[in-house]
Amino acid sequence: MPERHASASSDWWSGTKNTDLWLTLAWYDIVLRYRRSVLGPLWLTVSMGIILLGMGPLYATLFKVPMSQFFPHLTLGIIFWNFFTATIIDGCSVLIQAAPYLKQMEFPGSVFVWRSLARNLIQLAHHIVLYIPVALWAGIALSPRMLLFLPGIAISLVNLHAMSLTLGILCARFRDVTQLVSSSLQLLMFLTPVFWFPDSLPERSKFILYNPLAQLLDVLRLPLLGVAPARGTWIFLLFFTTLNICLAATLYAVKRRQVVYWL
Amino acid sequence: MARLILDHASVEFPIFGARSSSLKFTLAAAATGGRISRHSGVTVVQALHDISLELRDGDRLGIVGHNGSGKTTLLRTLAGAYVPTRGKYLREGTVSSLIDPMVGIEADATGYENITIRGLILGLSRQKIRLLTPEIAEFSGLGEYLSMPVHTYSSGMMMRLAFAIATSIRADILLMDEWLSVGDAGFQRHAESRLQDIVTNAGILVLASHSPGLIERECNMLLELDHGIARGVRRLTGASSFSPESAFAG
Repeated sequence: MPERHASASSDWWSGTKNTDLWLTLAWYDIVLRYRRSVLGPLWLTVSMGIILLGMGPLYATLFKVPMSQFFPHLTLGIIFWNFFTATIIDGCSVLIQAAPYLKQMEFPGSVFVWRSLARNLIQLAHHIVLYIPVALWAGIALSPRMLLFLPGIAISLVNLHAMSLTLGILCARFRDVTQLVSSSLQLLMFLTPVFWFPDSLPERSKFILYNPLAQLLDVLRLPLLGVAPARGTWIFLLFFTTLNICLAATLYAVKRRQVVYWL
Repeated sequence: MARLILDHASVEFPIFGARSSSLKFTLAAAATGGRISRHSGVTVVQALHDISLELRDGDRLGIVGHNGSGKTTLLRTLAGAYVPTRGKYLREGTVSSLIDPMVGIEADATGYENITIRGLILGLSRQKIRLLTPEIAEFSGLGEYLSMPVHTYSSGMMMRLAFAIATSIRADILLMDEWLSVGDAGFQRHAESRLQDIVTNAGILVLASHSPGLIERECNMLLELDHGIARGVRRLTGASSFSPESAFAG
């Protein structure tokens, strides 16, 4: 049993280093959901494929853009957006759902945040394979710029972890936050270039691209399209990440022992 | 060397969203539950009030009290799950808590998979779990059912599995709620010897029960809780050794 520690950082770390526990829990979250289906977790891939095949031609026609240019953009947009929202919404309930564990013994909350993050990463892996045939079909060439995806995903994971920790604590205390977050995310989807191209935005409206999720989407999607994200994006994310970590660390340090009283 | 110390510890739950009405105040005088009061507009349930306790190796504490008197809350506090809102909590030694046997049990996973999951939750390594699995399987007596999803089990079978896993690790401090009385006669006899084994090894046993008889037989200390207040801790004389025959009599 991972021990709860006097300092917030060692508490966080004792949960983090227990990789076997949270990876196993995340794995069973996925496996058990599909246990009695024939395709199993492949359903994740299939259902995402159906959505993409349905929406690709439709929106390419609506936006009057060539399919070969639009389809890779849309595929990555939907897949990564789905990853962000699923992780953030899971983050809201991460500690509430861990209540039986937290009430029975000393447990660092970080275990359950990692469990949620790992579960969503497994889902992302099942979705992202769909991009391979899309990229081949659209003729996207391999380029060294694609390696920028690695720092991109690292920054995304750090931010999603911090957000889940913050939201997990906030939502345990204020149950309205969960609803607030999920409705904000719905609105945010339309304000983020998930479907549309950022270039099609008139100059005076460009400011809406400075929402953190749009910036995170850029550092994941652009490298895989063979394009390097703008320098401003990295700088923006550097500030946002710092802020995010400070917020999560402060909340965790101050409130982690109280959370169990709110569950 | 195991030690458990509570020093003037209180546990108070803020109840959000429960608008305190006059009805709530009358509830404070009810026969069950802890004491309800209000601080700055938030309803507060005082589950434990000013409890001081010191347990050392060889102490076997029985907790008695009415429904909602704080028995389970006290066990959870002793396990370290609730950090007391006031007062101090100090622990030396590892804890195995059998407060809720269902924690970490996945209904759709098989018995064997649940052994792995619960083993990891209790802090065992995969290698250790592999070594312990045959022993747990044998002790549970579930045989081929272990390859079936747990939702096909009866509550008694589920308890066998949970008990087998939870008692397979050796801890210095053992915390138990009364749920152990679920098993059938055959399993109870089987479990008795296991329990005795654990109690002789575990430095400290804390057992919450509604059966004063059971506690008088198995424990050498008694704590009576009433609305979250300890009505004195006293040493029991005569029950100096654990008697397996009577462990499940209550």
